[in-house]
Amino acid sequence: MYAKFPEGAAQRTDPQAAAEVVYDAVVVGGGISGALIALRLSNAGKRVLMLEAGPAEDLTLRGYEGYLNRFYSAIGKDNQAPYPVVPNAPMPRGSDARRITPGAPDASAYIVQNGPFATDTTYTRVLGGTTMHWEGKTLRMLPEDFRMRTLYGEGADWPLTYEDLAPYYNEAEREIGVSADVEDQAYLGITFDEGYVFPMKGLPLSYLDRTVAKDLDGMPVELDGERRELRVRPFPQGRNGIPNPAYDGGKGYVPRGAVSAYQVEVGERCQGNDNCVPICPVQAKYNAGKTLALALQSGRVDLVAQAVAHKVHVDERTRRVTEIEYRHYDRPDSPGFNTVRARGRLFVLAANAVENPRLMLASGLHGSSGLMGRNFMDHAYLLAWGLLPEVAGTFRGTICTGGIADLRGGRFRSRQAAFTIDIHNDGWGWARGAPMTDLIGLVDSGGRYGESLRQALVDKVSRQLQLAFMVEVPANPSNRITVSPDYTDKLGNMRPVLTYDIPEYTMRGVAYARQLSKRIFARLGAEDHTVYNPNFWGYAVHDGEGYELRGGNHLAGTHVMGRDPSTSVVDPDQRCWDYENLYMVGGGSMPTVGTSNVTLTVAALCLRSVRAMLAQLDSETAPVDISADRHHAASLSGEVSR
Amino acid sequence: MSSPPFEDFLSLSVDLTAFEATDLLGTGMAHKYLAKVRAACGDEALIALLAAHRAARTDAAGDAGSLTRSPLDRDLLDRALRHRIFSDDRLGPVARNIIKLWYAGMWYALPPEWTDRYGAGTAVGTSTVTAASYQEGLLWRAIGANPPGAKAPGYGSWAKPPRIADRYLKGARR
Repeated sequence: MYAKFPEGAAQRTDPQAAAEVVYDAVVVGGGISGALIALRLSNAGKRVLMLEAGPAEDLTLRGYEGYLNRFYSAIGKDNQAPYPVVPNAPMPRGSDARRITPGAPDASAYIVQNGPFATDTTYTRVLGGTTMHWEGKTLRMLPEDFRMRTLYGEGADWPLTYEDLAPYYNEAEREIGVSADVEDQAYLGITFDEGYVFPMKGLPLSYLDRTVAKDLDGMPVELDGERRELRVRPFPQGRNGIPNPAYDGGKGYVPRGAVSAYQVEVGERCQGNDNCVPICPVQAKYNAGKTLALALQSGRVDLVAQAVAHKVHVDERTRRVTEIEYRHYDRPDSPGFNTVRARGRLFVLAANAVENPRLMLASGLHGSSGLMGRNFMDHAYLLAWGLLPEVAGTFRGTICTGGIADLRGGRFRSRQAAFTIDIHNDGWGWARGAPMTDLIGLVDSGGRYGESLRQALVDKVSRQLQLAFMVEVPANPSNRITVSPDYTDKLGNMRPVLTYDIPEYTMRGVAYARQLSKRIFARLGAEDHTVYNPNFWGYAVHDGEGYELRGGNHLAGTHVMGRDPSTSVVDPDQRCWDYENLYMVGGGSMPTVGTSNVTLTVAALCLRSVRAMLAQLDSETAPVDISADRHHAASLSGEVSR
Repeated sequence: MSSPPFEDFLSLSVDLTAFEATDLLGTGMAHKYLAKVRAACGDEALIALLAAHRAARTDAAGDAGSLTRSPLDRDLLDRALRHRIFSDDRLGPVARNIIKLWYAGMWYALPPEWTDRYGAGTAVGTSTVTAASYQEGLLWRAIGANPPGAKAPGYGSWAKPPRIADRYLKGARR
């Protein structure tokens, strides 16, 4: 299916004119959450204004190729390498992370890190959001992930069950276009509707996965009296594979190709570029641009880019949001901006689990529960790396095709964190910068050139196995996003301040993960090369052993949902308890992250919330009083001096 | 001073990389890489490097003395390259950088002790050559892979063993 970003869609909306329109919904953020909501609301005939902080030339072919060229030309190819650095809408970068000295916050980069633990977690502030650089793994959460407090006395219970969310998982898998096979994905209580198949067939495991599986499959593990056997299992993927003709009761599925590109060579099917992060060159991987293009085609969605939400204005009497004040900058590299307002019947904050609470807190809205910004979660990644006894053809495929999911659930979760294990097709790239670091070492200090270099490269790179343990971090109110007027960006917006520590519960899972990695390497006959550097910014010690921990970019928990307004920020529809026309959507609503990458669940939650939004719009037929909050009208036009 | 001959640069590159001249020319990068080396190190160092390479090949050709026609003794050539180039303070770092340039498509900054002593060209810092140079890195071909993000091998190809010639599968040895 060919989806085209409508010509001029990023420019056709005049912000000043739009300020005079009362939209059905104002959506802050052009990532997957905002895109899905805008698409569904517009399909239902509603008018939507979308504000995107980043520039929006991105969904044109030229814009996308600009990303690619920036990536090819970049010296450091980190997960933000393709995307423009925009001082007016700054974004965190993995390379920002520094070890934090106690009592001295690191304010050198966009996210002010208060510690005690430093993280390199990132998100991408461009149209399409972090789905531009996401890897595309789309695991459903386990049923037990929704009942952690009841079952294991750890973390929180959701106000929803797996069964409540399952129909929306189905929808999300359609929207994203997931490739997987049900027989591989029905485990640890995950169930599917009778006869369900994924839109596309599972992507084949890599040769590396198969080499590992040959020896690993059947490995016994006993934990808390539960015995299980490990196996290498394919992951569900948000990228195009072979359509399953049995999908949708035999109607089949038409993959969504690249946006605004010719479909002869690109987009229809993953080609094995091994570059899902930071950018799929052919857009076989889902990005929110695919959804945005459809939403914009409706003609009912207006997009204003370079529009950074500055303040949420509320009327405490009516308990409604009256408008969102945003700063619209003309040029990415110059600090000039206009202050503009966005008005609507509903307001949807879909910026992400850092930016949503940042905006609310910067607006002075701490929430009646006091939980705004609290319970920040991510996954803690522990890497272990070794050399297999044989050449396994590392560095081919998607970034990750398979892994071990058998320790995602079980009784042990009352004591230690669960994890999913990824087998990284890009070898030790994440842990040690392979293969460039191998090349440099072999040439500069290994005396290698010519034939001996070629042999050594195969020997050192093509045998690499890196296991990434994605370890659960439970909600903790102390882990939080705050703001402070001491820290602002170029536009005068308060920057997020992150206070983060890794709980003992997670560290016990980390320690177990390291022990398990040693057993796995021994079973495979692999040389374990894992060494954790005490000077690493994310070095953490537990029971006398040190580990390098990395962030997962799986932001969650900062406006948790619940059934009780005193212990949650949003209700099960992601509607703010405090303001009846405000929805805060995305990972921030999740009470637990389990051991799934969050995007699929975020998408399912948003698709579910759309029903509530539509019901609310249809029930609130009376005209909305928009005159209540005009006391600051004088500041709403023209250039604001700073 | 005459400019460094392209043919000599290519011949040096073949010995340094163990890729055939046709492979190197096929990248479309050879002239750009020569220009990069000249810009980063200056002609003098490069001309000296090319002369040392010619001399090494002469050493390895024994008495015949011909540059290209007679079969080279690989062990002698290896010894001569190590003695004349890799162990040389001025030529060693440049030669190693040329290897990395071909394999990574990236010019890595020369060590400061080199630039302190022999001077810095205009393009001394770490930099990519063009967006295409990354895609043409020989490293990826050496390990039977594509440069991540380019030259995709096709759906499902990753399930099969890598295409790496047998002589490179036995582990490293001289």
